[in-house]
Amino acid sequence: MKSKFCYPVFILITLLAFNLYGAASDQVSTNPDDFETSQIEDEVYDPLEPINRAIFSFNNVADKVILEPVAKGYRKLPSPIQSGINNFLSNLRTPLVVVNQILQGQGQNAVESTGRFFVNSTVGVFGLFDFAEKMGLEEKEEDFGQTLATWGVGDGFYIVLPLFGPSNLRDTTGMVMTMMTDPINAYAVSEGEAWIVPMRTAANAVDQRSKIIDEVNALRDNSLDYYVAVRSSYYQNRKAAINNVDDTQLTPVPLISIEFE
Amino acid sequence: MRIFYLLLFFIFSFNSNNLFADEATDWLKNEIDKILISYQNNELPNENRFLMIEQTINNNFAGTGIGKFVAGEAWQKASKETKKEYIKNFKRHLALNIASMMRGYSNQKYKLSQSKIDQKNNIILIDMEIFSDTGSVVVTWRVKKSKERYFVIDLMVADISLVVTKRSEFNSMLKNVDYNLLEFNKILYDQNNESYKKIID
Repeated sequence: MKSKFCYPVFILITLLAFNLYGAASDQVSTNPDDFETSQIEDEVYDPLEPINRAIFSFNNVADKVILEPVAKGYRKLPSPIQSGINNFLSNLRTPLVVVNQILQGQGQNAVESTGRFFVNSTVGVFGLFDFAEKMGLEEKEEDFGQTLATWGVGDGFYIVLPLFGPSNLRDTTGMVMTMMTDPINAYAVSEGEAWIVPMRTAANAVDQRSKIIDEVNALRDNSLDYYVAVRSSYYQNRKAAINNVDDTQLTPVPLISIEFE
Repeated sequence: MRIFYLLLFFIFSFNSNNLFADEATDWLKNEIDKILISYQNNELPNENRFLMIEQTINNNFAGTGIGKFVAGEAWQKASKETKKEYIKNFKRHLALNIASMMRGYSNQKYKLSQSKIDQKNNIILIDMEIFSDTGSVVVTWRVKKSKERYFVIDLMVADISLVVTKRSEFNSMLKNVDYNLLEFNKILYDQNNESYKKIID
């Protein structure tokens, strides 16, 4: 009885609340001259667009058929297991993060990341537990692409890599440098356990993909041009990572004016 | 004495800014809750749920301004009727995008963790931290006050601005139709129908 009464009351209250500002909002208008249209880059340098689009389509199918279902399955694992895998993989990346922090002149961050690596590799049982975070040693990511950018290397043209996804000339170079210098991978290969390298890459991909299932679906389902949406997202995200600054200072604020008629 | 007045002025400015940001945060929380509550109500048919969310988004986003901004140069050339049709389509497109994104967050706890004022651009930035079992994601809402009301002018997920992304996307499609907004309206309308089917399924 109680729930039968509550349901129509809830609907009524909700509908009233939704309509509260309805009339006022319809009057919102802007003056066409109030906003600039040239301040934000509309285009990125993409001379290989036809090839990139073909690879992107292939990647998209691979994502739908393989990566997304695996990531969804992964997300059903108990959260301590997911966290453990995430922490473990993140800890393996830390030595190269430290190298890149040093190369970028981030002394303080390099010291903190080194501390993170030692704490998590010992007390955190080979990185399965993130005790360093609890000690105030925050995780920070840096890679060779970011280092090259800090040194003044430009983006280069946009590239979609088979299976690896969106990148550009500079970040692809950075990725190759990471593959060549990663101490964990080098150790695995030297010990005759080269299978660890692709396994680790795949595990990283599943772990990262599992974190953005909803966001990717929202983008894919509602984009007029999914390829461009992903390209734009990639550039914005990388720009933020390279500059290591607050997003508020970084992404230009759309000059949108609101006026009432 | 002058120093005392200066000090008073700064204290007053600081507090009024904080109040301003707090007021915006309370307003935003209220609006976000409306969307999330409609997702949590399983008895609500999907069509009705979307209509309710669409109304909340239309009431609180500067849809017209964002629509004009993402249309870029195509806006200037279009007729009044075409512009009107475009704004209608754009508002639905915006609602479908936000609704689709918020659906993913409907079962998760969130906290509006930080609000600050960007004095230069006269906007309020409110961070929404959404928690899952394995971590959290931060969505930053860019809010502007106009005539005693607040409007969302952009939102950012993982440093990616929805408005900037939409502008790139729209520009790419507009280029294909020679920046003809009338032609573009048909594409946008079809895309909206496709997205709508997915969201009510």
